[in-house]
Amino acid sequence: MRSITSGHVKAGLDSVRGAKWRNFWTILGVIIGVTSVITVVGIGEGIKQQITGQISQMGQDLITVRPSSLKATGSDSNNNLTLLSGLNVTGSLQKDDLDTISKLSGVSSASPLSAVSTNVVADTGKYSGGLTIGTGADLPSLLNQSLAYGAFIGADETDSNVAVLGKNAAAHMFKEDIPLGSTFKINGQEFLVRGIFNNFPATPLSEQADFNNAIFIPYNVAQSLTKNTAFIYEILAKSSSSSNVDKTTKNISAALLKNHGGQKDFAVLKPNENVAVSSGVLNLLTTLITGVAAISLLVGGIGIMNVMLVSVTERMHEIGIRKAIGATNRQIMSQFIIESSVLSVSGGAIGIALAYSIDGLLRLFTNLRPVISWQVVATATIVSLVIGIVFGTLPAVKAARKDPIDALRSS
Amino acid sequence: MALIELNDTSKLFGFGDATTLALDDANLVIERGEFVAVMGPSGSGKSTLMNIIGLLDRPSHGVFKLDGKNVSKLRPNRAARVRRDTIGFIFQSFNLLPRLTVLENVALPLAYKGVSLSKRLKMASNMLERVGIQDREYYLPNQLSGGQAQCAAIARALVNDPKLIIADEPTGNLDSAASRLVMELLSEVHKMGNTILFVTHNPELTRYATRVVYMHDGAIIHDEKTALGQVASTAKRALYRLPVTTEEDDLAGVSALMRALPGKPAVPTRKSTRKKAAKTAGPKGTSTRVKRIKK
Repeated sequence: MRSITSGHVKAGLDSVRGAKWRNFWTILGVIIGVTSVITVVGIGEGIKQQITGQISQMGQDLITVRPSSLKATGSDSNNNLTLLSGLNVTGSLQKDDLDTISKLSGVSSASPLSAVSTNVVADTGKYSGGLTIGTGADLPSLLNQSLAYGAFIGADETDSNVAVLGKNAAAHMFKEDIPLGSTFKINGQEFLVRGIFNNFPATPLSEQADFNNAIFIPYNVAQSLTKNTAFIYEILAKSSSSSNVDKTTKNISAALLKNHGGQKDFAVLKPNENVAVSSGVLNLLTTLITGVAAISLLVGGIGIMNVMLVSVTERMHEIGIRKAIGATNRQIMSQFIIESSVLSVSGGAIGIALAYSIDGLLRLFTNLRPVISWQVVATATIVSLVIGIVFGTLPAVKAARKDPIDALRSS
Repeated sequence: MALIELNDTSKLFGFGDATTLALDDANLVIERGEFVAVMGPSGSGKSTLMNIIGLLDRPSHGVFKLDGKNVSKLRPNRAARVRRDTIGFIFQSFNLLPRLTVLENVALPLAYKGVSLSKRLKMASNMLERVGIQDREYYLPNQLSGGQAQCAAIARALVNDPKLIIADEPTGNLDSAASRLVMELLSEVHKMGNTILFVTHNPELTRYATRVVYMHDGAIIHDEKTALGQVASTAKRALYRLPVTTEEDDLAGVSALMRALPGKPAVPTRKSTRKKAAKTAGPKGTSTRVKRIKK
């Protein structure tokens, strides 16, 4: 049986080679399906890994507090994406919430993250590439993020006009390589550059949320700049030890509930929950697009079936000859199933190659970092093989059942 | 034990009013080592007989024993295996697979038997050497002349070492030189001990046969043993009376031959087809032109 199988794989490849264009159009559905599944799953996986990487970098004892109902202006949706990118969002977290959290036992340090709508003017002109974030002195230790040059805003500088820049922001705003000590203007006020961050392993969700593009200023200054309208979109708190993260989370929750008069309009997220929120959205998206791609695969399979049916009719005479010299029905059937499998697996292979090229292009031209795992590639290969077998069966059965005399008579 | 034994074997096609009797209670016993020519006009049931003996078709009634075993009711897959192991087919139009090389074509029956690739290519190569076209191994069938293609087809038929070789008009598409080549090859195969059954319209080719079977309207009407090298006496009568120029003339010739057969009424009585054949053959039968077999 094996000797004949190898012959049929060759025959299948021959017939693919023989009618290149027709076969290309035939397997296009499979190609598109496989490519889109791998690409989408890869992008989702990449984003998840980036977020997870950030979380693990921040440490397993970092607790995130977020307003759970955000009033985004200009947009009805209030998911995480608008939270990170939107500017005119008012949150439910206030300065006294931050103070409450900082004073709680079990919390070693806490810092707010507050996005400020600003007008930044520096050496190279107006800078609008990133957020201006009002924050506290503990941010580098909370994020486990080191500075490349200078120092972060000190605890005694909470009311001074000093700023720390993300790596890309520094590069965009100033001509010199290391703009320490340079000044620039936010909303007309002069700020002194105190330090520059090392590269953040950034979340890719939005250019604006990328800390590498951000300008960090003291929270109090941010408040005065915006006449106390700067909202806190996130409070980061570090538990004093990673063993009592759960207890501290509960404490924060209880304390804030009291602050807000029993109204739970905020969310306290443990490190893992933080990932869960993002991956929930991602998983939904991935599932949806995978569904669409599955339909494309189905259509591709039907295309292969049609071409195989035509091929069986065209090659009736050949089937007759093969039967006359002793091919059994099963051998004829396996020949055609192998041929359709060769078609669909070549489609899968082209799809995988295409997905890798798209992955490369995405890495080059966007800040997405898709991850194509071998499991996805293996699944795609197996799925395309299964498509070949499933949709090849009907034509193969048709070929195998043909009466040898009728088949020989047809030309 | 006879190799082929047909006992009142019949084959019906179609249903109801459209039923035709393609094979009518045929009785035929062929021993091992015989070289049988089957003759008869178109529609006389030669091909049906070949298909049944070749296990491509099953008889509607009656018994067909191949090598002592009743094979008249074999399932398709079993029949395929018997075809593979005991029967070699040679067709009028060669029926080589156009996309495979000559070597691969010849090796194909071995592939269905499960012989490993290297071994079957070697066996196929040896077989091509035996039929004298080893230098054409890697040609595609459409690069061969008719005679070479038929030699390749013979090699394919022989490669499984079959007990029986069935050739349906093996020289039908060939010129006389190639016909001669092919028939010489078949008669060599016969000398090695194979049983060969072939259909022909050319009475001259009965020269190679040891026995000639005549069919008409699905029935075997005459069966005569001939000496090798001699044109069968019955066939000879038709041969010298008829011009053999085109295939159509060939058919007419055989029709005329039928009328000349001993013990058979010259005027057809049963089927309209026979009347038609007789009509078309009639005027030509009076022609005085002499045979034209070799160009």
